[in-house]
Amino acid sequence: MGKNVLLVDDSSTMRKIIGRSLRQAGLEFDTIFEAGDGLEALAVLEKEKIDIVLSDINMPNMDGISFLREKASRDAIKDIPVLMISTETGDDIIGEAKSLGAVGSIKKPFTPDKVNEVLGPLL
Amino acid sequence: MKIKKKIIDSTIEIFSTMVMMDISVENDEVEGSGKLQDTITGVIGLAGIHKGVLAVHIPYPVALAITSNFLGMDVNEINEDVEDAVGELANMLGGNIKTVLTENGRDIDLSLPSTISGSSYNFQPSKDVIKIVVEFGTSNGHFLVELQLEK
Repeated sequence: MGKNVLLVDDSSTMRKIIGRSLRQAGLEFDTIFEAGDGLEALAVLEKEKIDIVLSDINMPNMDGISFLREKASRDAIKDIPVLMISTETGDDIIGEAKSLGAVGSIKKPFTPDKVNEVLGPLL
Repeated sequence: MKIKKKIIDSTIEIFSTMVMMDISVENDEVEGSGKLQDTITGVIGLAGIHKGVLAVHIPYPVALAITSNFLGMDVNEINEDVEDAVGELANMLGGNIKTVLTENGRDIDLSLPSTISGSSYNFQPSKDVIKIVVEFGTSNGHFLVELQLEK
């Protein structure tokens, strides 16, 4: 049985680009789930079997940092790894994300090679 | 000059890696965006130790070409996909420009992206600002990237 990924970004364009980059990087997933913010992402995680989450930070309703904090408080989903994909590169913000359980980060803009380099070893 | 170079480098990087479109710098000393016609503008606000806006002004034919490249499909009308793509462009540019204005990320906050579009409008600051405007060329026409920072 293959793996499932959840893409969390308020931009539908960016979700499509990330999905395309995964394919171009040769990273195969059974299903690519999508969510437009942290709240939607939590709902997907509670319902579906997700192996890894790729999440933006700046989003409406619930941002990526709040999403990590809320996810960490829920036993059923707290161990699902989250990789941040964001324009945010500041040490403070990325450091906070990692302290809340993020396993790494990719800066926008990115190439499929960069996605493969960071995400590949996590799968 | 450091900020202008970052605007140019970031715009070229975004277009080469994610839009898959060749662009060139046409003019890096544009005075202002002037009257914008049949254009869509993506805007990101900056708040904190530096206040201002980062805007990308894209005429409709260029915006359609950018969105088509972004999505890998033909887009023939200005719709939600174009608004989303132009907003995301502004978001990525804003995030990259932020890195030359602050090192740690927490002392400047970025707003969520928004877009403005219309047949004729002006993009004017309400306060005294420093403006940096760079014109880029594509095979479908030109577009502007504008940074306004409060003095």
